Amino acid sequence: MKLVVNERRCKGCNMCTKVCPYGIFQEGKRPGSRGYIIPVLDHPERCTNCRLQKLYGRQLCGMCQMICPDQAISWIDEKPFEPQKVVIEY
Amino acid sequence: MTDKTDFLNGNVACAEGALAAGCRFFAGYPITPSTEVAERMALRLPKVGGVFIQMEDELASAAAIIGGSWAGARTMTATSGPGFSLMMENIGYATFTETPIVIVNVQRGGPSTGQPTMAAQGDMLQCRYGSHGDYSVIALSPSSVQEMYDLTVKAFNLADRFRTPVFLMTDETIGHMREKITLHSNVEIIPRRELKEGELPCAPDENGVPGFGTFGMGHNVHITGLTHNEKGYPATDSAEIHEKLVRRQVRKIEDFRNEIADVDIVNPDAELVFISYGAPTRTVRQLLNDNPDTYGHLNLRIVWPFPDESLLAFKNAKAFIIPEMNLGQIAKEVRQHTNIPIVVVPKLGGALHTPAELLKAVEVAKTVKKPVTEVRL
Amino acid sequence: MNLEDWYRQDRLPHIYCAGCGNGTILNCTLRAVEELDYKKEETTFISGIGCSSRAAGYTSSDSLHTTHGRALAFATGLKLVKPRQHVIVFTGDGDCSAIGGNHFIHACRRNIDITVICMNNNIYGMTGGQGSPCTPYGAISTTTPYGMQEQPFDLCKVAEAAGANYVARWTSFHVKELTEAIRVGLETPGLSFIEVMTQCPTSFGSKNKMRQVTQMLDMFRDNAVLKAKADRDAAKGILPSPEKFVVGQFVRRNNPPLGVEAAK
Ligand SMILES: Cc1ncc(C[n+]2csc(CCOP(=O)(O)OP(=O)(O)O)c2C)c(N)n1
Ligand code: SF4
Ligand code: SF4
Ligand code: SF4
Ligand SMILES: [Mg+2]
Repeated sequence: MKLVVNERRCKGCNMCTKVCPYGIFQEGKRPGSRGYIIPVLDHPERCTNCRLQKLYGRQLCGMCQMICPDQAISWIDEKPFEPQKVVIEY
Repeated sequence: MTDKTDFLNGNVACAEGALAAGCRFFAGYPITPSTEVAERMALRLPKVGGVFIQMEDELASAAAIIGGSWAGARTMTATSGPGFSLMMENIGYATFTETPIVIVNVQRGGPSTGQPTMAAQGDMLQCRYGSHGDYSVIALSPSSVQEMYDLTVKAFNLADRFRTPVFLMTDETIGHMREKITLHSNVEIIPRRELKEGELPCAPDENGVPGFGTFGMGHNVHITGLTHNEKGYPATDSAEIHEKLVRRQVRKIEDFRNEIADVDIVNPDAELVFISYGAPTRTVRQLLNDNPDTYGHLNLRIVWPFPDESLLAFKNAKAFIIPEMNLGQIAKEVRQHTNIPIVVVPKLGGALHTPAELLKAVEVAKTVKKPVTEVRL
Repeated sequence: MNLEDWYRQDRLPHIYCAGCGNGTILNCTLRAVEELDYKKEETTFISGIGCSSRAAGYTSSDSLHTTHGRALAFATGLKLVKPRQHVIVFTGDGDCSAIGGNHFIHACRRNIDITVICMNNNIYGMTGGQGSPCTPYGAISTTTPYGMQEQPFDLCKVAEAAGANYVARWTSFHVKELTEAIRVGLETPGLSFIEVMTQCPTSFGSKNKMRQVTQMLDMFRDNAVLKAKADRDAAKGILPSPEKFVVGQFVRRNNPPLGVEAAK
């Protein structure tokens, strides 16, 4: 699963930066297509839901999605984060 | 089952008419002289699988019957002047969301708390224009206990056919008077047209009326008192959508004036013609009985939309004499549709006009030249 | 049905300002509804007028956006006619407690089987930031330019005293707890009142030294005291400091509800 921020919905409030236990959401600098500053994702492969949703068959954590007032956060069904990227991290 | 004869007061007859029409939800707040309608409904509704609730005020009563209507029931409330004033905002909401409801106003003397136990017809213009913005409504006016019953049934059918609030504008006299009446074993029911699959919830049909998206039926409609598009979604900054919506809602009623009209025309060849509705109709009829073939009479069972074409039936009319229990509210409307002189016969305080008073107006009418003349009783 | 199906997709993005907590509360509500596996045709959202009340327009089942303060009266009628319907009311602090205060009290007293979610942003958001009956003492609004001189309502205490079967308070920061409270509220027969302290960054935060949305969230996190802790403190005679507020479940009881289909 891949964590995505929908630029057409995000209004750059940064509420997501307050709740992620891994600090994956960080305040952004660049404006998105609608002019709002979109948060950037710091090593999103750490996201609990990205890693484990498939395994558990249900959504895990999801704090960022719940708090996002603009329904901008979701997961898409693909495997974009190459395992070696995770390896590189350690 | 056969028709049943009974001896009832007007308010009770109104409640019985509502039940016969299939009304299954009533929300109200006690107020003289309308309370017997609520009391009768409280007694009877639970026996027929309906629900009665006494709300905390009339704002809530109007709101609750609108909510109940969206749940699919035929719903009604009854009140009098002060409560009617409180209902005005939600009446506007009902017109704009095209919610069928029936509101009974057993009129008493106003303004303010006025004369709680006395009859009046002072809310006729408030009923037509009382909420903000442009809209149209339908209002009926019974002049007997039998008509309290029959016109209540009719009010529900009109509400569903036109998807609009319908008012039964009666008064203390008719509400509290007892007469013999026939309770019908079955009455004609014209149901509301349910929204069809694929039809947009606020898109009009050929009559200008959208299908009704009853809640809980899987229509998934959004209903709002904001200006809305045909999907029902808010579209508050489009002048075009707003104007189209308001005009369509007015026209769905005004274009059908003749279909809606319900009048009695007596002696159309007469020169002096009474126009009346509600309680004053009774005195006019008495006068006509005592003086056969002398005067014309236009009795309005439906006051709004005003059945203006029925004025044309009186081809020889030299004057219209209009007795009302207010300072001439419907006379103003008549004036807009005719150049024939009008004699206004206002009476306040609660007593009905007497035949002698009407004869006094006749004397004035015989020589009247001015467009509008008021008779001081 | 999954969570996304509960949003009226063709109306998103919604009209709320950046960082408005109402969107979060909508998320939590719809998540609770989804967890309970409600069917769309059995679920009705009703609201009054205000930013908070616009939430009903973003749900995908039947919804009735009514007049200012009166949502509970509309909801009462609908619920009594169709007791099978799950009725959820969205309201604001002004809508619920000022213009709609009487309907609020009476809906609680009747204990009608409705779940009420009050988005309390301490302000009249939609009309541009006037003081409400929930504006804290001393706070600045456009109609209290020198600071609010009246005491605010404690809506949960009002609901409890008036007779609601379930009463809880959380904030837009406490999304998991809030979702759980809404779920419990929906499952409790009778009136369930869930007050959600939420941020109006546009009209409240900006005037009250919380320019950033995240500052308001920090404030909710730091000032919310769990009910159990508040009770312990009270037992020890420790007075709560004025900026703190209590969160948690205040009542869950089993008084006879109105508008529940009689068991046959
Ligand atoms: C009868 C009536 N009076 C006043 C208004 C104007 N009005 C619209 S929203 C609002 C305040 C809403 O405040 P609140 O309920 O706290 O909702 P918020 O916008 O803060 O979510 C007011 C006063 C109205 N629409 N109707
Ligand atoms: S919480 Fe949502 S809207 Fe706000 S910055 Fe994060 S992704 Fe964007
Ligand atoms: S789901 Fe949880 S772990 Fe994953 S990004 Fe969101 S808050 Fe962080
Ligand atoms: S004005 Fe306040 S309550 Fe309204 S949408 Fe903006 S932030 Fe939300
Ligand atoms: Mg508010």
